[in-house]
Amino acid sequence: MTVINDQPPYAAEEAWLPYRPDVDGPWTTAEAAHLYRRAGFGAPLAVLREAAEKTPGQASQDLLTATEPESFRQLTAQLARAAVASGDPRSLAAWWMRRIISTPAQATERLVLFWHGHFATSAEKVTDVDLMLQQNELIRTHAMTEFEPFVQAMARDPAMLLWLDAATSRKAHPNENFARELMELFCLGEGRYTEADIREAARCFTGWEVRRRQFRFNRYQHDSDEKTVLGRTGLFDGQDIVRIVLEQSAAAEFLICKLVRYYFRDEIPDVAALCQPLIRQYRENSMRLQPVLQTMFSSRLFYSRWCQGFRVRSPVDLAVSLLRTFEGSANTVLLSQRTQEAGQGLFFPPGVQGWDEGRAWINTSTLLGRSNLISGLLTDSSTRFSGKAPAEYCREVLAEDPQQAIRELQTALFARSLPGATLESATQLLRQRSDQSLLEALQLLCSIPEFQLS
Amino acid sequence: MFSTRRRFLQASAASTFASRLPWPLAAAAETTKEAAVLIVIELQGGNDGLNTLISTQDPEYRRLRPQLAIPADSTLTVNPECGLHPQLRGFAELLERGQLGIVTNVGYDQPNRSHFESMDIWHTCLRGDQRRGDGWLGRWLQESPTAPGSLAALHLGDQQLPLALRSHAHPVPSIRSQEQFRLQAPNAEKLQQELLSAAAPQPSSDDLLGFVRSSTSTALQTSQRIQEIGRRSTTGTSWPEGPLSLKLQTISGLIRAGLETSVYYVSLGGFDTHAQQPDAHARLLRQLGDGVAALMNDLQDAGQADRVLVMCFSEFGRRVAENASEGTDHGTAGPVFLIGNRVLPGLTGTLPDLQQLVDGDLQYNTDFREVYADLLQNWFRTDSDLILAGNWKPCGAIRS
Repeated sequence: MTVINDQPPYAAEEAWLPYRPDVDGPWTTAEAAHLYRRAGFGAPLAVLREAAEKTPGQASQDLLTATEPESFRQLTAQLARAAVASGDPRSLAAWWMRRIISTPAQATERLVLFWHGHFATSAEKVTDVDLMLQQNELIRTHAMTEFEPFVQAMARDPAMLLWLDAATSRKAHPNENFARELMELFCLGEGRYTEADIREAARCFTGWEVRRRQFRFNRYQHDSDEKTVLGRTGLFDGQDIVRIVLEQSAAAEFLICKLVRYYFRDEIPDVAALCQPLIRQYRENSMRLQPVLQTMFSSRLFYSRWCQGFRVRSPVDLAVSLLRTFEGSANTVLLSQRTQEAGQGLFFPPGVQGWDEGRAWINTSTLLGRSNLISGLLTDSSTRFSGKAPAEYCREVLAEDPQQAIRELQTALFARSLPGATLESATQLLRQRSDQSLLEALQLLCSIPEFQLS
Repeated sequence: MFSTRRRFLQASAASTFASRLPWPLAAAAETTKEAAVLIVIELQGGNDGLNTLISTQDPEYRRLRPQLAIPADSTLTVNPECGLHPQLRGFAELLERGQLGIVTNVGYDQPNRSHFESMDIWHTCLRGDQRRGDGWLGRWLQESPTAPGSLAALHLGDQQLPLALRSHAHPVPSIRSQEQFRLQAPNAEKLQQELLSAAAPQPSSDDLLGFVRSSTSTALQTSQRIQEIGRRSTTGTSWPEGPLSLKLQTISGLIRAGLETSVYYVSLGGFDTHAQQPDAHARLLRQLGDGVAALMNDLQDAGQADRVLVMCFSEFGRRVAENASEGTDHGTAGPVFLIGNRVLPGLTGTLPDLQQLVDGDLQYNTDFREVYADLLQNWFRTDSDLILAGNWKPCGAIRS
């Protein structure tokens, strides 16, 4: 299914300039909703109205710099310990899902999910729940900071070493898995290195082991002879290789293009050319992400019609944005199982390449799964919207003035206009006010093609 | 176009089964029970071909694999030179019945050792610097005459639709299992109707929204169709445990029910055996061999085996020398297995020459497109040049 993409409305030099409300387009609750849907996982209308009172730059800065209060952190740590004690990775997935739904540091959490797909490590193979948790926290620590320390930490992360079999790589027989993914998937992209680079880099990582569930350097298994990687020759070890790989000009481009596809639009023609100003900014900031994100989320391109409504929602995104709009909570054990059934299991990425994103979320099987995910969420007895059962909430809040309610849902939840027929059916269903019809209205709204896009 | 549709509508009106379905599906319900079917089993991660079809004579194999070499006397004999992995009893059974063909040492020029890139090459027959819109099976679907809205191909699995099946003209559905493939709602029928109308094509919608709309329609219609078939009986075949077997069982049911689908696609993951290979590999091969043997038995009993061909392939083989983790790293060529009543039993091609390695990797003998050409020309009876973007000679593993 090849697609001729629409060209972006701005050239590279203009695309990343600050968005000027009224000059470049409107700045209303709808634009604030776009910001919160993309940079985070959505927000209730009251939060969006507040954000619309700020400038786009201020709104995105506040979102990017939001942190978790101490009390939240303590409770989260306590719940994490319980998940680890259970020894069940599904409990850990439920723990993370809860954090995604409830953390005030929404932009960080969105980025953690991005990096989880980027450095995809699966509990399918790494069955040690504590190590999976450690990796998750490591990602959170480095999410917006400089990239090299992040990759250096990842290269020593026990879960990663076990996942890519680096933990058993010996001098006599280096295992190439980690060296390959470091270049192909983590830093450079396919075609930016040779097979010889992989073999030589693998030698540099020999002796990087996991002992007693911690990183250990075993100098007896390390190949300390000379290696040649990416045109450089020396007595390199793994740390040198990470540095050399990230010194390649391809690295900044590879990452920024991937991020722009993640946050802006799944399909972008000639994305590298469009992203040059951002790539430059990223390099000038020693590959620190936060200033680049600030530019991205306050840019003209971000608020253009070319960007809004052109991302396919992931299953986690789909469920969490619904919950967050209604200040909801849910049984996250069930919820994380259901998102997994719809194609996105937290801590269970499908392989080393993570999730493919974009149209890959949508197929005949996942579309039914996505609708079933919503119906599961609406009918589960522990789901709460603003502290109430979903049907009760719908009756008290939405059914009073169905037309007004649907207009507000359109603003908070939808990047695309609701089709007339759906609008009418949903209004009718809300008017009927029975438990079943109220929930049907929501399931219908959250199953139509327009809801799949953000 | 319109006349074709009308013809199908009239044809389907006669069938009571068909009349319960929305029209595009009803149109497709008129099927032939003789059409050729291909089942593709993708072995994901890079199957270790050298430990699947094992040389019993070559000392080089044993020298390069001190830990991992499979003892010659435990292999299941194919010919005096080689045997199958001891856990491939299902394949050995099929071979005895003349239903298993093995194309040896299949690969391509300038092999790529990235899982994704190599898989994409197998799926599209195109290199990374070429524009890849659709897959080789997708192009075949486009070339072949199918009723509008018919289920020409079906992917069973929870992963993304394989690139091989992508085509402009035929959206190919992916389903996980019959049971999970059902809309759950208090009033599912009503929701289904509402969604079908919301998903109807609209001229104003952009490409992305259009894609979501058409996928939604396909999902709802296919679901209805599969539920219908799912209510029919099962057979007495004893199926092995495991997800592959479950998928093959579903496929067998759909074929027996007379679904018009000509290509089924499933995958079995876990072949990326960088470490502790022996047990993992043995378990996978057992699942594969037993599953395919059960499938062929089931189809044989139903008198459907003659029209079904199974192909098992992997994106690459593995490095000849083992690594230090009792595993093997990414390599190049490997065997392709073909199963059916019209395959040439035994080997097509020769065993890889372990004296002639390039950077420690095998040099392929047969290009994978020669296997595809064989399938297209001698199984599907289609010209293969356009589909394979070149003139490839059939490898000769299928009797024409």
